[in-house]
Amino acid sequence: MILQTLSFILVFPGLLFQVMCGWAFEWLDRKLLARFQRRIGPPWYQPLADWIKLISKEDILTHGSNAFILAALPIISLASVLTAGIYVPVAQFNRFGFEGDLFVILFLLSVPTLAYYLAGIASIGIYSILGGSRSLLQYFSYEVPFLLALSGPAILAESWSIQDIIASQVDMGPFSLFQPLGFLLAIVGLIGKLKRDPLDIPSAKSEIVAGPLTEFSGIKLAFWRLTMNIQAVVGIFLIINLFLSWSFLPSLIISSLIFFVECILLTVILSMASAIFARLRIDQVAGLGWRILVPLASLQLIAVVLMGI
Amino acid sequence: MIMEKITIPIGPQHPLLKEPLSLRISVSGERVLGGELRLGYVHRGIEKLAVSRNYTQNVHLIERICGICSHVHTTAFCTAVERLLNLEVPARAHYIRALLCELERIHSHLLWAGILSKHIGLDTIFMHTWHDRELVLDIMEELSGGRVSHAVNKIGGVRIDLDIGHAELIKKNISKLHDEVEKLLEIIMHDSTIKARTQGVAIITPEEVKQYGIVGPIARASGVAVDFRSDDPLPPYDRLNFKIITQPEGDAWARTVVRIQEVHESMKLCEQILKVIPDGPVEVRARRSVPTGRVIVRAEAPRGELFYYLRSDGTNQPARLKIRTPSLPVLEILTKKLSEIQVADIPVVLAGVDLCIACADR
Amino acid sequence: MNELTIDKIISDINSLTKGACQLVEYINDELVIEIPSSQLCKTIEFLVQGHESIHLSTITIDIDNSAPDYIHALYHFWENISCSLLVKLDTKNPELDSIISLIPGADFYEREAAEMYGIRFANRESTPALLLPDDYKGAPPMLIKKEK
Repeated sequence: MILQTLSFILVFPGLLFQVMCGWAFEWLDRKLLARFQRRIGPPWYQPLADWIKLISKEDILTHGSNAFILAALPIISLASVLTAGIYVPVAQFNRFGFEGDLFVILFLLSVPTLAYYLAGIASIGIYSILGGSRSLLQYFSYEVPFLLALSGPAILAESWSIQDIIASQVDMGPFSLFQPLGFLLAIVGLIGKLKRDPLDIPSAKSEIVAGPLTEFSGIKLAFWRLTMNIQAVVGIFLIINLFLSWSFLPSLIISSLIFFVECILLTVILSMASAIFARLRIDQVAGLGWRILVPLASLQLIAVVLMGI
Repeated sequence: MIMEKITIPIGPQHPLLKEPLSLRISVSGERVLGGELRLGYVHRGIEKLAVSRNYTQNVHLIERICGICSHVHTTAFCTAVERLLNLEVPARAHYIRALLCELERIHSHLLWAGILSKHIGLDTIFMHTWHDRELVLDIMEELSGGRVSHAVNKIGGVRIDLDIGHAELIKKNISKLHDEVEKLLEIIMHDSTIKARTQGVAIITPEEVKQYGIVGPIARASGVAVDFRSDDPLPPYDRLNFKIITQPEGDAWARTVVRIQEVHESMKLCEQILKVIPDGPVEVRARRSVPTGRVIVRAEAPRGELFYYLRSDGTNQPARLKIRTPSLPVLEILTKKLSEIQVADIPVVLAGVDLCIACADR
Repeated sequence: MNELTIDKIISDINSLTKGACQLVEYINDELVIEIPSSQLCKTIEFLVQGHESIHLSTITIDIDNSAPDYIHALYHFWENISCSLLVKLDTKNPELDSIISLIPGADFYEREAAEMYGIRFANRESTPALLLPDDYKGAPPMLIKKEK
């Protein structure tokens, strides 16, 4: 029993599986970006090599910052996303679902954002503080449309449990057909959550060097990067489960294959967005979030409610 | 919400800067209040060094003032010495010098376009422009043996020649470059994100151009048609046809448009040079010691007017060499322009004015 | 070259400085006119205001070793022709009027002249170091003679 639980936590769908997926995602993203830019791109083992190199680097602490907080923040972030990953269904495997787990997962996915902001403040350096305040502003701008977009499937399935949402899609078909706008907004929200181009203003290299993570190095930075990758993977799994679930197919192999293909598809979409768009300014991010995304998300939500009736 | 005034240090080391420069920008929230500029991090005392070296050694020294515009520096210096020596340099040498000047202009503007896009966040355009820049560097390497530092000029002419093989290779590469760059320039001219980030930012009025003595593409982007290739032409520019590109707006977008269209013009100039280049020798022997006199040479570097003042006292070492590079006036107006913008526009302004600090510091 | 423009400039400056100016040379299409340092601001004001597109290239400071009593300050202008104003300064007490009120762009050139040659500029606030380090304590670099 204990062994079984441990294997769920540490191997699948826990630590090992998510870390592998995180690295696979980072590799695919970097390779695609490179190909779009006429470069060759890194070999498949690059994220692993980077991680090993990072953990062997010196860990520098800036003068006046709190060592405990700066060490705790990446650990807490990593733990949150890993925990969120355990509860998100992967293909047909969703043993751990419970009523309201969508809320819990979304909360756990927001912990790294708060930790990112705190890391910026706690690092004291001017670039970190500026990056931290920008990240908080961006969080307010995209989180609301993201949550609104993700509420759509829940309302349509009349439940806040992901298991039920998947079961509804077995009856009705993938929810992206019913709420394409919500699907699109969820992807945009995910880009904002992951702080990727074009919404990577908190870590805008030309202006504030590396934002909140400027002063991090060594194993702490390795944990932060791992957190970002796993957050991306968990976010992708979540969107697939809420909008593109094909788990009703009888064959385990085929539905896993479809899940895998959908992951790759979403990664391709994220990479393309990275390659094509320039970085938005912070006031443009806020404008985009509140003037365009929130009204659209609200419209979609109203449509879903009416559809349910 | 009124935020406290904080100082963002940009430099001496910063991802935004190609060369060290110290800017302390005070901001409040997202508004820039002002800045303090400090130069001198790459000051090597070139003017003082030049006085204790002979003219041939000085050609070697002058080339190392700047990496991006090295050829035009040595062209100006060699022209100055040749005027003092009253030397008639063969026409073919002039054309070869002009060819490299134009290639250098193309390479400098493509480099700048990449840097601007990178700092706006469009890494893709950065990668593509620098990839196309490799074509230009290949031509320069084929001609002179060096990608960035050519060592082509000598007092009395040039040390390389264009044979048939070279000319064919250059023509082939330039037409390849033409096609690639056309596409790229179309993208940059019509990309809505670049326009959105650069339009209306940091407008320089023609009045300011005159007051601060600004030259080059920045002046032309404010409507002031000053181009020393046609105003005070070094041979063979007096016999070549080209357009002077100006834009009236004076903002960062106008500066972008001017530089991009100058790449067009430079490519056409290269093709023209290859068509009309005369046969003949490429150098003529020059005396070691230069008669007494003083001379001023103005050349058009990729960033504007390059000014050389040379005085000789009859020996084989110059008595005084004064260099004024085009980035210096822009630095004077920079802090003033920075106090008119938002924090997010700082990369656009700094990258958009195309500073060459190594030139300015000497 | 446009002889009319050259003659016009010479005669204009001549009448402005009441004959105190002197044509030093006109070769290689470059005009060098010497004016006394007291007339500097007046002449530059005349040049800047009377001519639409005149442009100050730089300020050169030069010491002729054959006549070491004087430091030459050259103001290089360009408006279709190259015209330089030469001002002779006393080596022991080199002082010049600042022209940044007329041409704000002369700021960096004056600062460089001040730190490299030790020239003092009147009518302007301090000349902070431009290219030399803040803590540089030594003679102005261009005046240091290398002992062979």
